[in-house]
Amino acid sequence: MSEQSKRLAVMAAALVAIALGFHALTGSFLTAENLSNLVQQTAVVGIVASGMALIIVARQIDLAVGSLLGAVGVLMAWLQYTQGWSVPASLAAGLGFALAIGLFQGALSAIVGLPSFVVTLGGLVSLRGAAFLIADGKTQPISEPWLLALGGGMDGALGERGSWIVGVALVALCVGWQVVQRRAQSRAGLEARAMSREALQAVLTAVAVLGAVAVFNAYRIEGQEQGQGLPLPLLVWGVVVLGLSFVAKHTRFGRYVYAIGGNPEAARLAGIPVRRVLIQLNLLLAALVALAAVVAMARLNAGTNSMGTGMELTVIAAAVIGGVSLSGGSGSVAGTVLGALIIQSIDSGLLLTDVSIGWRMVVLGQVLVAAVVFDRVVHK
Amino acid sequence: MTALLEVRDARKSFGGVHAVDGVSLSLALGEVLAVLGHNGAGKSTLMQMIAGAHPFDGGELLLSGQPVKFASPADSRAAGIETIHQKLALADNLDSVANLFLGRELRTRLGLLDDAAMRAAAVPLFARLNPNFKNTADPVMSLSGGQRQVVAIARALQFKARVLIMDEPCAALGPAETAMVHDLIRRLSAEGVGILLVTHDMPDVFALSHRLAVMKNGRLVGVCRTADVNEDEVLAMIIAGKAPAAVSA
Repeated sequence: MSEQSKRLAVMAAALVAIALGFHALTGSFLTAENLSNLVQQTAVVGIVASGMALIIVARQIDLAVGSLLGAVGVLMAWLQYTQGWSVPASLAAGLGFALAIGLFQGALSAIVGLPSFVVTLGGLVSLRGAAFLIADGKTQPISEPWLLALGGGMDGALGERGSWIVGVALVALCVGWQVVQRRAQSRAGLEARAMSREALQAVLTAVAVLGAVAVFNAYRIEGQEQGQGLPLPLLVWGVVVLGLSFVAKHTRFGRYVYAIGGNPEAARLAGIPVRRVLIQLNLLLAALVALAAVVAMARLNAGTNSMGTGMELTVIAAAVIGGVSLSGGSGSVAGTVLGALIIQSIDSGLLLTDVSIGWRMVVLGQVLVAAVVFDRVVHK
Repeated sequence: MTALLEVRDARKSFGGVHAVDGVSLSLALGEVLAVLGHNGAGKSTLMQMIAGAHPFDGGELLLSGQPVKFASPADSRAAGIETIHQKLALADNLDSVANLFLGRELRTRLGLLDDAAMRAAAVPLFARLNPNFKNTADPVMSLSGGQRQVVAIARALQFKARVLIMDEPCAALGPAETAMVHDLIRRLSAEGVGILLVTHDMPDVFALSHRLAVMKNGRLVGVCRTADVNEDEVLAMIIAGKAPAAVSA
């Protein structure tokens, strides 16, 4: 088992322990309703954290994601509500704005050579100001039904049948990928893994995916004819995570991100276009922030200038708890899923047990510290 | 006969300091040319210029008689010049296969990394260089100095380098690993690869090089056939910057 998968297994065990602990205390933590709410609350942070993981792996940081999310969210909602733009046009404008900011910040750090910490600290402050300026501080409600559905809630889920279809398709995709990998190995004359291990992996994938579908399908809101099924925010988050994991592992871009994080000088000497990769990485994160802004806006039914306040720290914490090393070079996209879920589980669990907001913050801060301490101890 | 690689009147300065000041050198097919000098003599800068990491301020570089200009290390490597840097220039967090192909990954028809093909090419190559090298899937930070050196040298073999620049290849290696690297250098030389060997180590120079070039303060002190000089004379060239009488070309 590689270092990275060991790490993921430990994080998954920690998440299960946290969930069981809160369930024992509240009796309502491991219900379909609570789990459905939990993943919907986590999706926005999770989407951004998956991109943040790669930024940190490449020895960069982005403190501006929360403010950018606010500015983009308000911009898209303001264009729709106040300016009367169509939904697709407003979303495209929001994405364009985010990419322009990503390009600006990426160029300042990759080409001019400023530390990304400084560049994005400036962005953190300025973009929050921009979020206020765009709509003069006024909340901008949105009304398009399909857009609101992306935020989850009663009408924002796939339903039972759709969820089974997605679940089965995902399992088929994973198993199909295993077959493709195996073929490539045998074509290259490499020794393939034992068939029993392949089968075990396929079965575990099926159990996890279909089990999750069954849980979400079991959540039925009063007055509804059938179960809710997979919430749309989870679906968006899932597609992002699968896509980015694939990019990280199987494309040259992903390989270069890790190489730059491991040794920027070696990457440069190996002919890797370091600046270009870093700018692309900034654009990627900016696009993810725009996507997360759509989901956040849909959840709130509006764009407000305070959206995403303080989110940068939750996102970075999710990445770090999920095993991304702040010194760069190591960590995974998949780990951020566990990191984000751990933070949200502790937060919601403490809320369910009536712990005050003050104590919740005290605990969450130390969970982050504990995760890093744990990492140090394991690596020694 | 045209030299495999020729440097003519190379110049490079950093903020008024002439790191390389009018150096000319040539390297023949299969030749091992030792490049000697104190720290700060300009050898590493000259090597980095040849490797495309620093542009020339003046002078020119010829490969098989053709003038070439490198804008980046990638250009130099594409022209068949492979460099093994003193610090090995490996991404410590990646495994040896990823490092071997770093910057030149094999890809599938869909443009994805072809990990299976890279592993299939790398494993026998590593095994040929060092039969004890089995842990090819571990991050290179967990490898021994000799194994890391194998990864760096394997790049030259995998990509069929014509010129190989080695900066202190045996520093920090044990006796057995040093012997392995010596063996590899002789083998590459026999296959016609021209090797620029930057080193402080006299036994390396006398065991491996056909000719040696000495630099001091950015200038070339002299170039001579290794068989024509003894260690004292070489040291005198390095320390005093004086070429002995026997030195001609």
